[in-house]
Amino acid sequence: MTASILDLHGISRSYSTRQGLFGKKVPVHAVDEVSLSLKEGQTLALVGESGSGKSTTGRIALGLERPNSGYVLFRGTELPAADTPAWRRMRAQMQMIYQDPLAALDRRLSIIDQVREPLDIHDIGSASKRNNKALAMLDAVGLNASHATSLPYQLSGGQRQRAVLARALIMQPALLVCDEPVSALDVSIQAQVVNVLMDLQKELRLSLLFISHDLKVVRQVSQRMAVMYLGRIVEFGETHLLLSSPTHPYTKALVSAVPVAGRRTRERIILKGEPPNPAARPTGCAFHPRCAIARPECVRVSPTFSTLPDGRSVACHAVHTNPPTKEVGS
Amino acid sequence: MFRFFAIRVLRAVLTVALVVTFAFIVLRLSGDPARSIMGDDASPEAMAAFRREWDLDQPLWMQYLHYFAAIFQGEFGRSMRGGGPALDLVLGRIPATLMLTLPALLMKLAIGIPAGIYAALHRDSAIDRAVMVTAVAGYTVPSFVLGLVLVQVLAIWFAWLPTGGTGSLQHLILPIITLGVGGAAVLARFVRSAMLEVLGQPYIRTASAKGIPWAAVVRGHALPNAAIPTVTIVGFMVGNLIAGSVVVESVFSWPGVGNLLVVSVTARDLAVVQCILLLVAVAMVLSNLIVDFLYGFLDPRLAEANSSGGH
Amino acid sequence: MNMMEKVSETAAGTRKNTEHQPIPFTVIASLLWIVFVIGIALLADQIAPYRYTALDLPNRLASPFHPQHLLGTDELGRDILSRLIVSVRISVLVALAATLISACFGTTMGFAAAHFRGRVEQFILMLADFQAAMPFLILSLSVLAFFGNALPLFIGLMGLYGWERYARIARGLAIAASAQGYAGAARQLGASPMQVYLRHILPNISSTLIVSMTLTFPEIILMESSLSFLGLGVQPPMTSLGNMLGYGREYMTRAPWIMFAPAALIVTTTLSISLLGDWLRDRLDKGLQ
Repeated sequence: MTASILDLHGISRSYSTRQGLFGKKVPVHAVDEVSLSLKEGQTLALVGESGSGKSTTGRIALGLERPNSGYVLFRGTELPAADTPAWRRMRAQMQMIYQDPLAALDRRLSIIDQVREPLDIHDIGSASKRNNKALAMLDAVGLNASHATSLPYQLSGGQRQRAVLARALIMQPALLVCDEPVSALDVSIQAQVVNVLMDLQKELRLSLLFISHDLKVVRQVSQRMAVMYLGRIVEFGETHLLLSSPTHPYTKALVSAVPVAGRRTRERIILKGEPPNPAARPTGCAFHPRCAIARPECVRVSPTFSTLPDGRSVACHAVHTNPPTKEVGS
Repeated sequence: MFRFFAIRVLRAVLTVALVVTFAFIVLRLSGDPARSIMGDDASPEAMAAFRREWDLDQPLWMQYLHYFAAIFQGEFGRSMRGGGPALDLVLGRIPATLMLTLPALLMKLAIGIPAGIYAALHRDSAIDRAVMVTAVAGYTVPSFVLGLVLVQVLAIWFAWLPTGGTGSLQHLILPIITLGVGGAAVLARFVRSAMLEVLGQPYIRTASAKGIPWAAVVRGHALPNAAIPTVTIVGFMVGNLIAGSVVVESVFSWPGVGNLLVVSVTARDLAVVQCILLLVAVAMVLSNLIVDFLYGFLDPRLAEANSSGGH
Repeated sequence: MNMMEKVSETAAGTRKNTEHQPIPFTVIASLLWIVFVIGIALLADQIAPYRYTALDLPNRLASPFHPQHLLGTDELGRDILSRLIVSVRISVLVALAATLISACFGTTMGFAAAHFRGRVEQFILMLADFQAAMPFLILSLSVLAFFGNALPLFIGLMGLYGWERYARIARGLAIAASAQGYAGAARQLGASPMQVYLRHILPNISSTLIVSMTLTFPEIILMESSLSFLGLGVQPPMTSLGNMLGYGREYMTRAPWIMFAPAALIVTTTLSISLLGDWLRDRLDKGLQ
């Protein structure tokens, strides 16, 4: 049994937004009672639509934001408060890559300067050693010396993401949070970047928290996955189980939308109703307005997690009475 | 809506309080306030009376509160040179200044706004270029240079108008022109860029594409939207009415507030300077408040609704 | 009315391609003039024919093109050209120092507002609003009245001119950079706020700040010369452009040339810098689109 590197315990995060310029303050629950754990060297995928709170969860996992309640354990100890010297030193062990690599890079500094920057910040090694290490790291992500002296806008999207990856991994962190790392890239480039990521994961024994809405990528990279809807986890378990036999009606809808090669097109579940809005959270089970099998209690009572024999947890009223049907994946 | 105005009024009051605090700090830092306000040659009894009256023997925060109280009761101290209350002295000069600044303001509006609108609507035409060159020149030629050149040409060489002083309507002409030209240039430049900004917006193209005549698009959409930023700068000009002619009054020896300020600064007549500073602050804050209220009427959504109702 | 033509005309007007547009002649002329003025300021001691305080009593109020005095002399027989050259140096020095102070102070305040947010930000914004609302001439006259006039104080006072503009720009851009993007990424790498602001945000917003400086610089020259003209800025025996003008006006009828030379210099210099600043701003605005 491998030890867990990251544990989120019942974290909630809400923001207050005003309605109109001088309106009342309304709290928006971005993340609500989320618990997760990521095992050393593994990949946990966090899946959901935009507004589901998955990015906020990622930021909380890194300590970039503080949860209103709940706590985050990294290797069994609680994270120090953000922007303290202790928190800054922690950055060497936990890093992040972003959806938009061009925005994440300083467009006035050369690639090598930016990849070297963590070494400069944490004051590691001499100047020439830092440069060599940065070049080696660039080589590891598949960028050469001529890319090193370029400015960000001179590179392609995939090359930029490789540069961001090199910058994140140069300190050899234990945990990497990837926030939609390939969704802004062309499909042909996506696979390359994902492959580089997975090779480096094996080499460096990285643990990944992989935030994505793309189940094809999630299937490829992750061992376990959690599905989020409006700030809550609705289903959590082994990736292959969730993708082959989804239990929660929302997971079913997501899975049915992914075409699978070599199989005749399944019946797609089209979600009805409005896309989720965190500012106007429905009562009871947040998914009920769009759920095909919703019943009266779903409107009133928020479902609790029940654990199925295969180890996954599901939050749905229907799961208690109807055992999961296996027809989708079999 | 009420909340909006309440916050604005509160901010206005805060700003005035900030100026009073500024005056208090500056006064305290500049030495013995009794001596500063009363002057060096005041008798020891008068100084002692002043100290008692202004609570200079009290702790600093008490002095601060009392200073506030005195200011809000209109107690600005006495002029060191004239001896009378500073406030009366300043108020007595305001009509003379308004005689210059009010007509100059009208001139700025009458020339600056049409010129800016015309230049924007006929972008890159000969007239636009002429307006812009004049505007840049009017903006970079300081008022004292312009004033002195006007005096040199019209008063000294041609002897059509007096070089300075008061007495007749003719004395007003040169100072008003000097004040008005620079302001009109600034305003024209500002209105032009505000108009160009609005004309570049997608809703203007949409309105034209819908088939609304160009003149109606300009009247109904472009002008009201360009008016919003323009109101701010006009508000600043209005707030500047009582002290916006310091340099020009000095050039033309005009006995207004600005002249009083320069003389008082030179003579270090602190009570008068402090009084003018606070009056200007109040005028500025009031005009800002008016601008904020005007924004309510110029709300783009209202303007939009009115104009589309017509078509 | 042919409206579509008008619309496409305005649309095309705002989207001019500046990539290969030649630099306008006025901008080149302005640049040359600025270089010339800076050259005069730097070499004042070398090129001035006389000391600016040297008296030539037999040749008082000599008119221009006098054999010994190219631009004539003033009421004490001092050489106008020499005084003009020294005045340029003082005026440029005061304006340059004040611009730098104002830019540094304003940017620091803007970064502080962006970094601390909350009450600090509210306070700084209130100060900025106050500074923008009060006529600077009145504020500086009050301070001069209370504290008297010394050159360091005067430069420091001019250094408050326009700080609120830098503060607003720096605050806005720093907040935008931190919310998402490179500054947030640098923070996440473990960079201290100092490193984030100095190494990343400052270089990225420097072009906007420099454009602001070129737009504020002529205003500071005008403010300095206005105050000196009123006799409350640079004090004799020191001389500046405004100060020369202020004293020259007393001899306006008999010797208008005393006044003419500094007036022409003020106007041409501020005009050049304004033209250059406008051009730079337009380039920058289009570059950002």
